[in-house]
Amino acid sequence: MEKRIFITQAMIDQYGVLNGDNDIIHYDIDYARQRGYKDTLAHGPMVMGYAAELAARMYGDAWHRRGEIEVKFVAPTYPNEELVVSIDDGGNVVAKAGETINVVGSARLR
Amino acid sequence: MTRPSDIKPREDEQRGTTYEDYVIGDTLPPLRFTVTPEIMREYASVVDGSAGGYDVGTRKAALPSVLQVYFMAVLYSKYPPQQGGVMGANQFRFFEPIWADESIDIIGTGRIEKKFVKRNKRYVSFSADFKDTKGRLIAQALNVSHFPE
Repeated sequence: MEKRIFITQAMIDQYGVLNGDNDIIHYDIDYARQRGYKDTLAHGPMVMGYAAELAARMYGDAWHRRGEIEVKFVAPTYPNEELVVSIDDGGNVVAKAGETINVVGSARLR
Repeated sequence: MTRPSDIKPREDEQRGTTYEDYVIGDTLPPLRFTVTPEIMREYASVVDGSAGGYDVGTRKAALPSVLQVYFMAVLYSKYPPQQGGVMGANQFRFFEPIWADESIDIIGTGRIEKKFVKRNKRYVSFSADFKDTKGRLIAQALNVSHFPE
């Protein structure tokens, strides 16, 4: 299964409103560049959330009692990029923006 | 209803915790909050999910990862955040459905698991348990983040 999401700054901001995050790395591009990033960063849990949502659909009922998801953020997710989030039949999770792998991990049942 | 911003100390509100401040093995005190159907729907909307919930037997459940938006508050309630924290890894395990049509009172507790330096980045790892008021385990989580100071 996979989903494609075009990440926007508005989506990053909306997630920040929900989770109460005031870390400027998510909306201050000058600060983000000062830290060595090319743009502001999407929230890690937001990206993980896309994968967790896919897993909920993939595993159905069992996800809610036996589901576990584990991800590593290996590259930043930036606004104005299309993110492709996928889970294969073995439960391997990947999120890519173009040729760059941003997230790797797994979503499986215990 | 508890919005995460109601219980989560925000960056720049107070002195941010530095790497040296974290104490391995330190416990994080109980953090109580209420997850409402409104928050569940709002969460679904920001992760491309279904606002109507997900079938679990004859009922609808929210995405259990909704607890993610409260997760860092468990850490920050004792160790206030500094600007520029970046997540390195995250893990969630789910044990009981969170029903989409009713509010649930949750108590989050946690522990500082470890801290380490890798490639000149300062990492801190903490874990959290989320239980309902009857003591049933709803979810467990583990996070690794790195901080600039």
